[in-house]
Amino acid sequence: MTDINKHEEQKRFRAEATSLWKITFGPLVWAVHFVATYGLTALTCAKGWPLDPLRIGVGVGTVLALAGILWLGWGAWAQWDTLRDREWENDAPTDEDRHQFLGHAAFLLSIISFIGVVYVALPILLFGSCQ
Amino acid sequence: MTEKLHMPAPEGPYPPTEEMLSVPVPHEEQERGKAELRAAWKTPTGWRYWSAVNNTEVGVWYTLTAFGFMLLAGLLALAMRVQLAFPGMEFLDADRFNQFFTMHGSAMMFLFAVPMFEAISILLLPAFVGSRDMPFPRLSAYGYWCFLIGGIFVMGSLLFDAGPKAGWFMYPPLATKDEGIGPDVWLLGLSFIEVASIAAAVELIVGALKCRPPGMRVNLMPLYAWYVLVVGGMILFAFPPLIAGDFLFELERSFDWPFFDPTRGGDPMLWQHLFWIFGHPEVYIVFLPSIAVAAMIVPTVAQRPMVGYSWIVLSAVGTGFLSFGLWVHHMFTTGLPQISLGFFSAASEAVVIPTGIQLFAFVATLMVGRVKMSLPMLWIAGALAIFVAGGLTGVMLAIVPFNWQVHDTYFIVAHLHYTIFGGMVFPVIAGVYYFYPFFAKKLLSERLGRWSFWLIFSGFNITFLPMHMTGLQGMPRRVFTYPEDSGWALLNLVSTVGAFIIAAGFAVFLYDLLRSKKHQGQIPRNPWGAGTLEFSHDVPEESWGVRSIPYIRSRYPLWQQDKIVERMDAGRFYLPDAPDHQRETIVTSVIDAKPLYVQPITGPAWICMLAAVFTGGAFIFPTFHIYTPAIVCAAFAIVCVCYWLWTATARPPRSNMRDAGLGLRLPTYASGPNTVGWWAMWITMLGDSTAFASLVFGFFFYWTARPDFPPAGAEHAIGLWVALAALLLVVSWAATLTAREVNHRGHVNAARLALCVAIAAALGGAGAAYLAVADLDPTSHVYPAILWALMVWLVVHVGAGVIMQGYCLAGSLAGKLTPLYDADLHNVALFWHFIGLKALVTAAVLGLVPGWLT
Repeated sequence: MTDINKHEEQKRFRAEATSLWKITFGPLVWAVHFVATYGLTALTCAKGWPLDPLRIGVGVGTVLALAGILWLGWGAWAQWDTLRDREWENDAPTDEDRHQFLGHAAFLLSIISFIGVVYVALPILLFGSCQ
Repeated sequence: MTEKLHMPAPEGPYPPTEEMLSVPVPHEEQERGKAELRAAWKTPTGWRYWSAVNNTEVGVWYTLTAFGFMLLAGLLALAMRVQLAFPGMEFLDADRFNQFFTMHGSAMMFLFAVPMFEAISILLLPAFVGSRDMPFPRLSAYGYWCFLIGGIFVMGSLLFDAGPKAGWFMYPPLATKDEGIGPDVWLLGLSFIEVASIAAAVELIVGALKCRPPGMRVNLMPLYAWYVLVVGGMILFAFPPLIAGDFLFELERSFDWPFFDPTRGGDPMLWQHLFWIFGHPEVYIVFLPSIAVAAMIVPTVAQRPMVGYSWIVLSAVGTGFLSFGLWVHHMFTTGLPQISLGFFSAASEAVVIPTGIQLFAFVATLMVGRVKMSLPMLWIAGALAIFVAGGLTGVMLAIVPFNWQVHDTYFIVAHLHYTIFGGMVFPVIAGVYYFYPFFAKKLLSERLGRWSFWLIFSGFNITFLPMHMTGLQGMPRRVFTYPEDSGWALLNLVSTVGAFIIAAGFAVFLYDLLRSKKHQGQIPRNPWGAGTLEFSHDVPEESWGVRSIPYIRSRYPLWQQDKIVERMDAGRFYLPDAPDHQRETIVTSVIDAKPLYVQPITGPAWICMLAAVFTGGAFIFPTFHIYTPAIVCAAFAIVCVCYWLWTATARPPRSNMRDAGLGLRLPTYASGPNTVGWWAMWITMLGDSTAFASLVFGFFFYWTARPDFPPAGAEHAIGLWVALAALLLVVSWAATLTAREVNHRGHVNAARLALCVAIAAALGGAGAAYLAVADLDPTSHVYPAILWALMVWLVVHVGAGVIMQGYCLAGSLAGKLTPLYDADLHNVALFWHFIGLKALVTAAVLGLVPGWLT
């Protein structure tokens, strides 16, 4: 019999108060990149500024965003830890499975975010002018 | 520093072991628990029935009302189809046709699609997660009554030939210059309903995060709960921009502040942005919960757990985010720079990926399972077929040049009906068939269901498939008639015939839904062999929700946990009784659902209905430009809400601990971040801040879009008053925080003093904010108007903050709020964190930014 105030399981899987937020970090990077890219472009086009600084700025921002997503994705991959236990469903009532499930979800979300960032950066490469 | 006071912590064994669960419950214990729960959860009878707040009552009313509005909006569509059946018809005149298409769209979106999600979730979510009720039942009831009043008001305008007629998106300047009251009906009536939607979203998020049964960790939640979280979050970020837009729009309509008038520096494009930042996520807000219903049905049909649970979570969360990057694809022809259109085209293609993944997960589940084809599955299959077709035209429309070609033609009408019928209507009907045994304790007819399906499915395709062609042939949307030689006559006639077939299908469905089923006798408890908790419901009905709140350790407990239903029925699990005849549920931690405390739940009351009536008055009177009764109504609404909170929430409990069953003892009161109230406040303020951010966005939008913003030589806000307002509001925030801390340490008088200081500082701050812009004329140009709008927004929120501070002060004086029982003060302090931030941002925009921009 376990007391409600005691923890039997490994310390590293203890209720991660922030871990639910953590799965949204990948998409959040996408959102920030999207808003910044759109905002800067709108401003550049509305004010008639030259496009080259915008291209460089968005390029740097995109590289940073992709690096951030890769870093988050790598962390999530390690958290999912599928190479070690080959367990896909993570549906056991344990701290470990909850931990790995959140890692899996975050990993998949970082893939989607990566694709999203690449897509959104493409117009900047392909368009010669605002119009 | 004095010692802080704390509520006792939970104590006893947890999680329960198999030995503990296998101990039988003595018969007399079982009977005592049942009798107590029945007394606590008794549904009022007779005319008092309407004071009920239980989710099973409110959820059914809500669902039926939303369905009723859908039928009305469907009738409007039928009338339009009759008018368009032949060229030159005179069934409806142009003006009435305009009112009908505007209300058809508005009602389907605001009175059916979004409320239907809330209705179904209020009805089902507690059952999915084995909880007794939603955390704030009176809030659901209040939201329902607001919805009913607002819906009747908006739909009723058609009877007086006064309906809105500028299209469901109310584009200015057409809508701002409209001389009737139509746009006001739309703006105020629907804002009123949006407030109710946000209330429901807050409640559903809190319900999914905090009211899960012990042991139901985030990796075990029913998929529906994941969708509820995502959709609730989307509502919080999508609706506030529209509310901010409505606020600006109504200020222009009522007081001539020129936000969308280009002759005085305004810009109609701002409305389009705010509307579609709401409008596109909104499509996913109606789609995701419906697909969530499918995610509950598919595993049952396949008789196995969903394949790729994590993939579905990815898909829901990913779609939720990406759907916010699509709004400009409704604005491809507005002349925005093409490079900007490129971003939205790209994001529109990207959102297909997560949307597609969940459909593949469904198909995979069906492939590996042993499919038992049932009526709900038939509807789901129809939904997938139609939705995929709509999705494909969506991919076409995301490509800018194609979009230009078919913009505002019937091709769009076809596309949007394919997505929404397939993505929302069909899954919802599937859900009605699937969950009918749960909420009505009866079964719908298999034969009528098949009739209804084939009528609606074929009628739908006969109506909308030709419309792709009608659109490609150039027929524009929203025309009330067309000439003989246009060549559109045959296709239109086919569509009209199809519309009547759909109507016949709905008539069959409606008959099946409402016919008497008395002869049916008692139905099996779990007729589909489902694995999730809702089918542990009691037949015949009991209003206690669950007999005892189970300990969960699997995703499909009815399949994967032996004897769980038997033990729930015996009262073996948590809260099997109600010694004080008080409604209660267990509140658990967000990630691992560890029991935290027992939350008392409010029971039947008229006060929420009364509050809704007064809130309705506050929104409806201004439609007719009569303001005094509106202000009186608003004041009464506030009084009602305060009375309801005072008498029923966060009262000191009779004893601090309660035996929760299985040897576990839980506190009966909590304050701060563990509580449902704190989470509700935090989530509400997140939405509120989004609306505020939309106003600030408006300020910067004018700056990028207009060369004359701020106009040369314009008068600015008075810097001294701006600085004073910021200072005083920060002082008020600090004093509120101080009150919380010193009260917590037992210095009650110091806390009261701090609250007095906080109120005085807040009032002073609001006054200073007003004086800062008082000399500017908001009707002269958009620059002073937006400064005024920011000030009004801030002052109204400070007003709410002052009421809250006063409420805490009164609570402290009356002994409701003590050093130990201080939940109210925690929540008010949280509110003031946001006000403090808002005050600083407002002061920066009013006082500093104009200097930087010029």
